[in-house]
Amino acid sequence: MSDKYFIEPDINFINEVKKLGGDSLKKCFQCATCSVACPIAPDNKPFPRKEMIAASWGLKDRLISNADIWLCHQCGDCSTLCPRGAKPGDVLGAIRSYAISEYATPKSFAKMVNDPGKLPLLLIIPAIIFIVIGMITGQFSFSPGAGEIVQAKIFTPLLVQIIFPILTLIVIASFGMGLKRFLNDIHQNAINSGLTDKRLDIGGVISGLFKILPTILKHDKFSECSENKDRMTAHLLVFYSFIGLLIVTAIFFIVLDFFHIPGPYSQSNPVKWLANISGVALIMGSIMMIKNRLGKTDQTTSYKDWYLLYLVFGLGFTGMLTEIARLIGLSGTCYISYFIHLILVFNLIVFLPYSKMAHFVYRTLAMAHAEYIKR
Amino acid sequence: MSIEKSGGFDGSIMVVGGGISGLTTALEAAEVGYEVFLIEKTPSLGGRVAQLNQYFPKLCPPSCGLEINFRRIKDNPKVKVLTMTEVDKVEGEPGAYNVTLKIAPRYVNENCTCCGECAKVCSIETDNEFNFSMNKRKAAYLPFEMAFPARYVMSPELKKTEDAEKCKEACKYDAIDFDMEEKKVEVNVGSIVWATGWQPYDASKIDNLGFGKYDNIITNMMMERLAAPNGPTKGKIVRPSDNNQPQSIAFVQCAGSRDENHLPYCSYICCMASLKQTTYIREQYPDADIYVFYIDVRAPGNKYEKFYKKIKEDEKIYLIKGKVAEVIEDSDSKNITVVAENTLTGEKIKQTVEMVVLATGMQPTASQFKIPADLQVNSDGFFINNFEKGGMFAAGCANKPLDVVSSNQNATGMALKAIQTLVKS
Repeated sequence: MSDKYFIEPDINFINEVKKLGGDSLKKCFQCATCSVACPIAPDNKPFPRKEMIAASWGLKDRLISNADIWLCHQCGDCSTLCPRGAKPGDVLGAIRSYAISEYATPKSFAKMVNDPGKLPLLLIIPAIIFIVIGMITGQFSFSPGAGEIVQAKIFTPLLVQIIFPILTLIVIASFGMGLKRFLNDIHQNAINSGLTDKRLDIGGVISGLFKILPTILKHDKFSECSENKDRMTAHLLVFYSFIGLLIVTAIFFIVLDFFHIPGPYSQSNPVKWLANISGVALIMGSIMMIKNRLGKTDQTTSYKDWYLLYLVFGLGFTGMLTEIARLIGLSGTCYISYFIHLILVFNLIVFLPYSKMAHFVYRTLAMAHAEYIKR
Repeated sequence: MSIEKSGGFDGSIMVVGGGISGLTTALEAAEVGYEVFLIEKTPSLGGRVAQLNQYFPKLCPPSCGLEINFRRIKDNPKVKVLTMTEVDKVEGEPGAYNVTLKIAPRYVNENCTCCGECAKVCSIETDNEFNFSMNKRKAAYLPFEMAFPARYVMSPELKKTEDAEKCKEACKYDAIDFDMEEKKVEVNVGSIVWATGWQPYDASKIDNLGFGKYDNIITNMMMERLAAPNGPTKGKIVRPSDNNQPQSIAFVQCAGSRDENHLPYCSYICCMASLKQTTYIREQYPDADIYVFYIDVRAPGNKYEKFYKKIKEDEKIYLIKGKVAEVIEDSDSKNITVVAENTLTGEKIKQTVEMVVLATGMQPTASQFKIPADLQVNSDGFFINNFEKGGMFAAGCANKPLDVVSSNQNATGMALKAIQTLVKS
């Protein structure tokens, strides 16, 4: 505390954080109730009190490179006890949202994803890409024709396999660069705050990652909170259904590419079971989350939250609808639903680095880093 | 029940509440010649001040100030004191109010000499509210040593018991009369000053601070009683769980104050009260460690600032900037660990102490009890004075949280306001 620090408040940052759901931040009077109330804040330099004053002062650079904002799981224990209604939990959520945009490239994408006015664009862009590439390659058909309903008739597996792997690679490349910057920044920040004197060692962070995996898989950090305990079940459902669906997708890609067995696959296939269970879990989990958000009037919910929640629900819903429509023979419903499903998948994958979905990457990395520096 | 007409006229003033503000208003008005009815709900005057051990910053006992005021009342026939009395109804307008009072039976008449023979034979005991239930008192009792009026009281639960007969027999002055009944009295006055004061905020509502759950967590007002020579421990500061002498004590400032979940405002006095109470502890325990956890210390004005500076010179008084938000009791030792973040160092502090004092704030009495008059209160229950309308005014802590000095200043001003209403109408 003894070294002098010239504060240059970034007013724009303060206003942005307010817009992103942190509108209560100026109510904070630094009593530090929140840092004590937080069940997962460490004893040394606990959060979120210090983040609240940094946000109030507009210290953008200090905040977005602060790994602590990602250690917070936004349970709301701090907001409940806050004597001024400053809602530190929501403010940290807003700062995270800002940080996601800051580390994303190109930034214009991040702006688009977080702007409710641009939502139609987010849906139309993938539709156009699908149709144009499909038309050029001849892999897309507006008239699937009669007979057995097979999604492949409108949108061939080849097309899916051209577009999505390429997109995924682009996303990984651009996201990876942002993450590298993020990791360097949070490490430098930790050094500046006196939390560590180690040099950044990627191997160490990776071994940290393995150490914290059980915590993530069991959602231990969620169960430490006393407020909003119910949201743990919802998050677990969505979390595991995504893992389930990732496994299913991977297996079917391999089956299709290497064994050349086209879908649809039999309902008695265990992989299909996993797919169906995951699909149902995804719908249930996302409905629970939406209900939870709607019921929580004391918690600030902004567009970034709704975009992700409805995207997740939409993914599950259109996925299951496509399958059911196919099984009962509603060809139109099946094909339209499938097309929408693919648009949503595009949103999930391509906009991952820019949407709230990115939280799982940043938080995992921050937790691994915290483990590495023994935070 | 009949309603007695008990005099008064439009040229007189009613003061509701016999605490330091009410006493001051009543005396200031009476001493310039106005007839004053001083109404007090409890059996004696003095209010919260009577419960204090010492005033800050001079650290003199309040008995001194109260004694002078009681003396002035005794000598002034213009002040009519009605204890155990509540306002039932107020009708009329500025300059001409008709007030109905409800007087509870004391079961003791003017013959009482405070000899205490009745209490000696009385075996029924009840929680002593004057000491925040830290001890018991007899059902036949004197509220406190220098109670005014100096007269015993018989608790209603004594009525129709064997003890009632014993008390009556023990009284040599024929002062006990269980045939007394509640009565209503009508009084005409020209203006009314409400000095209904405050209640200590109910600390058990502050879930995370453990009051009521853990024995060794007390409130600041309980500390006053512990330190007072006429308190439950005869002035010895000991911790409730085992009556041991605490060698480490933590003060938790803003306990339920400046908190939207409790009292959203600052009660003005708690910082000074805690600083004052550190001197109580230091006097009895020269080596005790004293921790004061605060958001910011509010010591307004030159005198209070000086007092604060003097406290800071004590090397074993640790002032820590950070609010306590969690308390943990050790079930064996009954010691309490308070948890706070020291916001100057960014370290989470877990300090184990033998006793904790919660600096709770003032809640206006009007927020707890409906006042039967056409008065405006703000969202916290403090009266809003309408000087244009006049007629009725709030003085002291009924109006806003104040210390004793400011209460007296405020009360003197309200005496003048009350007089102005009479002169105008």
